[in-house]
Amino acid sequence: MAYESDLSRDSREDEPTPSTSRRTFLKAVAGASAAVSLSSQFSWANGEIGYWAKDLPDDKLKEMYATMLRIRWHERTQADKMLTDPKYRGYNHFYAGQEAVATGVCSALRNKGPFEEVDLVYSTHRPSGHALAKGVDLKKMCAENDFRATGLNKGYAAEMHISDKSIGFMGADGMIGPGLVMAAGSAFGIRARGSDQVSVVFGGDGTYATPAFHGALNNATLLDLPFIYVLENNLYHQYAHYSYSCPMKDIADAARTYGIPGVVVDGQDVLQVYNAAREAVERARAGKGPTLIEAKTYRYYNHWGAPGAKPGVLGAFGYDPLAISSFRPEREVRAWLARDPIDIFRKTLINWGTLDQAKADAAEAAVKKEVKEAFEWADKQPLCNPEDGVKNVFVTGSVRAAQFG
Amino acid sequence: MARKSWMYSVLEAVQYEMRQRKDMVWLFELTPPVASNPGMPVINLEKEFGRTRVNNTGIDEMWMAGATLGSGLAGITAVTYIPYQGNGMCFQMIQNHAGKLRHMTGGDAEMPIVFILEMTGQTPGFAGQHSDYEIDTYYAHIPGVKTVIPSTPRDAKGMMVSAIRDRNPVVYLYPAGLRDMVEEVPDDQYETPLDKAALRTTGGDLTIVGSGGSMPEVLEATKRLQEGGVGVEAIDLRSLKPMDTETLVKSVQKTKRLLTVDQSYYTLCPGAEVIARVAENVDGARYKRIAFPDAPPPASPEMFLWMRPNADHIMGAAKRLLG
Repeated sequence: MAYESDLSRDSREDEPTPSTSRRTFLKAVAGASAAVSLSSQFSWANGEIGYWAKDLPDDKLKEMYATMLRIRWHERTQADKMLTDPKYRGYNHFYAGQEAVATGVCSALRNKGPFEEVDLVYSTHRPSGHALAKGVDLKKMCAENDFRATGLNKGYAAEMHISDKSIGFMGADGMIGPGLVMAAGSAFGIRARGSDQVSVVFGGDGTYATPAFHGALNNATLLDLPFIYVLENNLYHQYAHYSYSCPMKDIADAARTYGIPGVVVDGQDVLQVYNAAREAVERARAGKGPTLIEAKTYRYYNHWGAPGAKPGVLGAFGYDPLAISSFRPEREVRAWLARDPIDIFRKTLINWGTLDQAKADAAEAAVKKEVKEAFEWADKQPLCNPEDGVKNVFVTGSVRAAQFG
Repeated sequence: MARKSWMYSVLEAVQYEMRQRKDMVWLFELTPPVASNPGMPVINLEKEFGRTRVNNTGIDEMWMAGATLGSGLAGITAVTYIPYQGNGMCFQMIQNHAGKLRHMTGGDAEMPIVFILEMTGQTPGFAGQHSDYEIDTYYAHIPGVKTVIPSTPRDAKGMMVSAIRDRNPVVYLYPAGLRDMVEEVPDDQYETPLDKAALRTTGGDLTIVGSGGSMPEVLEATKRLQEGGVGVEAIDLRSLKPMDTETLVKSVQKTKRLLTVDQSYYTLCPGAEVIARVAENVDGARYKRIAFPDAPPPASPEMFLWMRPNADHIMGAAKRLLG
């Protein structure tokens, strides 16, 4: 793919040459893992930033692998359920294909502890991957997505609006733009509090065109806020290619305007994402201000739901009636599937000796079981009490039921 | 004349006007201006008029509304289709600029522009930020902007023609829950007035007033009440600003009973304005108001459908008014 070789070339031109020994090592990894092409499969140290992933303990690496698998199998199971179970009411804007981004970023964050200390994550209308990477309970998320009273948000939120404050998952902002400013706003509050928390927002390529893009980055830069903007460039905002709304190939170039780091990473390589996120987190905790990370990635399904997908098959290649006159080329979908983030990470971990084939298979089997049980648990949860719809509008009490006149 | 879908009817109107006005523009995001109808040619405005005139923008409703307004100020007829996700993002441009510029300029500013604002709030499961029917109230409050809300494909076409030809800014609300409606719609261009309510049924016992997304439930309840021998005058507001006070007052002078139905939140819903106008002009009438509670629409269909005004709710309130 032209885009990937461009990515590698640009990075090499922009950055100091990595040490010979490191490059040799990386080439060895590449050689071991390359299934499609050498240039597109290796994990590389991103020039000036530290190759922090080298220091990660095996347990952490295995946890990251399990997280990616959990996201993937949640998506696949839910897509199949949408396609095959007419009684199932849940839906999703599927994240499959982008697992390395959420996992790489959240692995560099503090996800446990008191609310005043945990790092904050603001998500998008495609939230299930971010939620699981941050540590949201899978069972409760499944229940919420199926509108159950015992779901993550008691049935009030569902897919595009889930949140779990207890782990700093501040919520899916279903709109394009406001989340950026809210996240920067939390960073503003954090600075006043004096804690070393960071505030991270995930946003798509479509966010570049919003006034909020500038508002968030400009203010975060002016005030040196602990703010990290993770722009997941999956090439399409809704049904339009990002070239319709952004004049640059690399949206990270916009960071130059503010004089802050703008880092392009291969969003299919969780370690590359982790390295960039770790660098950004350390910068933010040290009071040095925001970072814009652009992860080049791809979603395997269409914008919304599972149109064009088949049960048991990863990805959507068929017709999406919602796309009306703009379609993703099937070959583009297949080309991205050929460098799947989970395959890439699995090969790397096996190459490093962190896992072997049997252990990697066992990890996958364990996650599949966990996901299956989560959906089964969700299926048995109670539906909401209709009258609760007028509760939780204010801190106390409920509002009047005005629908009866 | 043929049976046509909502969007086909609207785009048919727009296509005709764009062929007459060689500089008329259309801005969209997400929703390409494409519609098909059985046995009729596909309408694709982007293909027919090109990207200079029909532009697929980024997700930036401030731009969409601003570019529409700016085009209008420069003398170009402009229409934008803002999907429901962004129908509040463009508020500033419409409320504080489009609504004030003619007055501010001593009558000079020309704004032959239409803001099509999609609304949801009809669909269980969407929830929160993806349920936003309440904008009818917000936009109807603005001086200097006409705010209309058709509830049938036939009105949707006629009111689109009128909105494009109107020299004032028009907010054209599209209750997307009605997207599947199909009815006989004339092929020729015709204008439907932007200041007249429509009497959907006539009767002497009770006036029921609704608009947009509430109309199917209003008409269902009306049918059932009439089958039970109650004479119902069902009124479709169609225009929230200007509001057709005369039609409302005439009806309630006759029936002395007024029930308003809104999918919008209770406080300041269009029905509140209807009742106020009638109460100022009719003595001795009785009133009831049905609306969505003052709560954001929850995701759970169980909660949402209990809260969303429906024909049963209307029947219950009507019986209490009549009793």
